[in-house]
Amino acid sequence: MTAIGRHASFPLQLIALTGAGLILLPLGYVTVLALSADPAVWQRLWATRIPELLTNTVSLAGAVAVLTLLLGVSTAWVITRFDFPGRRLWEVALVLPLAMPTYVLAYVYNYLLGFGGPVEQLWQTIAGPEARIFSPQSFWGATLVMALDTFPFVYLLTRGALLSLNVSFEEVARTCGVSRWRTTFLVTLPLLRPSIVAGMALVVLYVVSDFGAVSLLRYQTLTYAVYQQMTGRSDNTAASILSILLVVIALVFLMTERWFRHKSRFYQTTGRFRTPTRIQCGWSQTMLFSASLAAVVGAAFGVPAYLLVQWSLSPEALAGLDSRFFGFVWNSTFLSALAATAGVLIGLPLAYLAIRKPTWLHLGCLQAAYAGYVLPGPVAALAVLVLFLQLMPVLYGTAIVLVVAYVLHFLPAGLQSLEPSLQQITPNLEESARTLGLGVQAIWRRVTLPLIRNGFIAAWVLMFLQTMKELPATLLLRPVGFDTLAIRVWLEASEEYYQLAAPSALLIVLVGLPALLLLLSRDWRAA
Amino acid sequence: MFTDSHLPDANNGGIDRPPDTETSLSPVLELRSVFCAYDPIRPAIRDISFAAREGEILCLLGPSGCGKTTILRAIAGFEPVQSGEIFLSGRRVSSPSDAIPTEERHVGMVFQEYALFPHLRVTDNIAFGLGNLPRATRADRVQEMLQLTGLEGFERRYPHELSGGQQQRVALARALVRNPIVLLLDEPFSNLDPDMAGRMRHDLHALLRRMKTTTVLVTHDHDEAFAMADRIAVLNEGRLEQMDSPELIYHMPATPFVADFVGQADFIPGQVQDGMVHTELGEFPNTLDADEGTPLVVMIRPDDIRLTPNKSAGPKIVGRQFRGSENLYTIQLVSGQIVHSSESSTTVYQEETAVELRVAASHTVLFRTDQLPA
Repeated sequence: MTAIGRHASFPLQLIALTGAGLILLPLGYVTVLALSADPAVWQRLWATRIPELLTNTVSLAGAVAVLTLLLGVSTAWVITRFDFPGRRLWEVALVLPLAMPTYVLAYVYNYLLGFGGPVEQLWQTIAGPEARIFSPQSFWGATLVMALDTFPFVYLLTRGALLSLNVSFEEVARTCGVSRWRTTFLVTLPLLRPSIVAGMALVVLYVVSDFGAVSLLRYQTLTYAVYQQMTGRSDNTAASILSILLVVIALVFLMTERWFRHKSRFYQTTGRFRTPTRIQCGWSQTMLFSASLAAVVGAAFGVPAYLLVQWSLSPEALAGLDSRFFGFVWNSTFLSALAATAGVLIGLPLAYLAIRKPTWLHLGCLQAAYAGYVLPGPVAALAVLVLFLQLMPVLYGTAIVLVVAYVLHFLPAGLQSLEPSLQQITPNLEESARTLGLGVQAIWRRVTLPLIRNGFIAAWVLMFLQTMKELPATLLLRPVGFDTLAIRVWLEASEEYYQLAAPSALLIVLVGLPALLLLLSRDWRAA
Repeated sequence: MFTDSHLPDANNGGIDRPPDTETSLSPVLELRSVFCAYDPIRPAIRDISFAAREGEILCLLGPSGCGKTTILRAIAGFEPVQSGEIFLSGRRVSSPSDAIPTEERHVGMVFQEYALFPHLRVTDNIAFGLGNLPRATRADRVQEMLQLTGLEGFERRYPHELSGGQQQRVALARALVRNPIVLLLDEPFSNLDPDMAGRMRHDLHALLRRMKTTTVLVTHDHDEAFAMADRIAVLNEGRLEQMDSPELIYHMPATPFVADFVGQADFIPGQVQDGMVHTELGEFPNTLDADEGTPLVVMIRPDDIRLTPNKSAGPKIVGRQFRGSENLYTIQLVSGQIVHSSESSTTVYQEETAVELRVAASHTVLFRTDQLPA
């Protein structure tokens, strides 16, 4: 029994149970809807949409995974194993693409690779006036955009693994008579494998649940189809069937990631270790590395960011910066603040109870809260929508429905900040405060809250910023005429009004940067 | 000096005699005036020269930061040498201008934390360096090593499924399976609990004797060095202080540092008078041939001092430490000088007992006072 007495823990339990219910109920309802659907609907879907959608989704995820593997591992290798001027700059710059939502990158690439776009013009001056490049609105276009946006996941995990890799493994291999080159393949890469796979599983999870890029690039995946079933056909049953398929796929990859991450613990030796000495680069190698890294960072962040700034400064865009625009900013901020506050208020009791009193009920509630992880935006929207239509149709079309969907979707991200900060406080602290004569409330105010404040703030900021750039749930659930920045980007970009979409997109990228810093500061270790 | 004791004496230089057998054969491992540096201002090791004979177990002993691991890594080819040369089986492997890569040196190494490949089973760990052999030969060699190290039955295990002692044996088997020119062991017992370390020390010694592999072992523990080594090289601040057999290192230390590092030592001040060194504990032969009146110190080990209670004696016992197999007494002389004496485990005297001291040393170790650390 810890500092919270019997009387104090009951309201906490109530909040925790409500929170868990809030999350499980919609999910359960979608499942019921899908499973109780007329078998004819299942058959129709299996015969028509599902094979194509599955093939598209899986092949996109596969191609992106391979591309991110190449990009992520090679960049991490160069950053950790070589020393050249500017290395520290690139080390951080390689993470920047994560600040760019997929729909922003997709919209920029629609322009860049589009018919008569700058890349095609460049290519035609080299290969002749009739030369064509692949369209952005194709499998390869979607693959490129998604890979550029998600390779930092693989980069970050591989980089972390390389930095904590004990160099003794490589040295001992060489005393066994194995050359440096073969050591890389026989020792280093196998040791990195769990981290690389975990990174790729994150990428796949991201790709299968992405809506923004595939919708702008008109590439049919399961997530996109859920949205289309809900909007175009208003067929919630078909949408829920597709959703269940999607959740199953996401679940598989989430579990893969967890398993490999767990396994990688065996691969780190405890005790002292040396980091390998970096190879000093000559000027030609420095040029080669700098050029390659510049190409990657430029394609994934630099060029898009430059275009957004340029478009934002165009007369059309500047003319759009009126009171309407600031209305969108206010809508985004208001909704995000609401969602983040609700998320923290629900997440804190969940995490606190699960850590302090790990009964099956409390742990179950916490696990339920993490279920939001496997819910792509449109599915979260669908789940909340069907539930409210069933139970409280009055609220349909209000911002409340939207906030519930946000909490459902982003609570896991918040919990990941809250949980560690709570775990750091040993019960001894609260107990010793008790021996010093403090009451339950005084302990919370003077001991617990000051200690968890940073985790608390981090959780709030993360959920706030995630909500800022959320697209599909907002698109599906927003009150009529209630647009946010993300919605504006998507709507203008869909109509190929590149300049008009730019200010909103730029703002989203800019507020995304602090979130990135926050995420990184958690387990960033300078190389 | 003792460091040079294995070299022909300078005054024998003119006499025509058959060369020493040890120096005529090229040594398995030889370091000639090796300097290594992490940064050029403070060399990590300075002017290190020594040679290892075939089948010998050589210990590099010293406090942490003395450069012993650097020497090991220089032999393995992980540290470049700033000046000097390293030879393995007569082949020059390291010099400032060029270095043979580690994988072509044919050395075996056991790291402090063993560095077993976590993704490979025991057999694959041991067979790791045998890639160039035919499959059947490889299996035979691995089987042989499993037998020698007593690891039969653990072939299919992964490293994290083994105890510390078993992990060490796998690391040893992996290092020895290629019949290396020299086996390098970096603090091999530091990751084991003391009980297990004692057993492994014994097993390892027996195994190395049987395999006749030339071994260089790094340790900071003089008991470990005494138990394992044929010869010990004592290092301090990157320099070689003395290289000799364990017995000579203990009884005839070349420097006060060595005397102090390898066991309890007391330094009794004295002065040369009439060809003898006069101290509070009696007279000692002037083995340094120092001039009349020179101040010197005599090094005395606790096992060289016997004590008998005598009510009229000046020195008295000020402390007793029971060590199981012996009692270590701290005695204060009349001048205030402290000395130590080890007596049998059952001989117990109370503190404040006045005792008479008798030095029973078969040899005398003298140092000049300027050799003592400030």
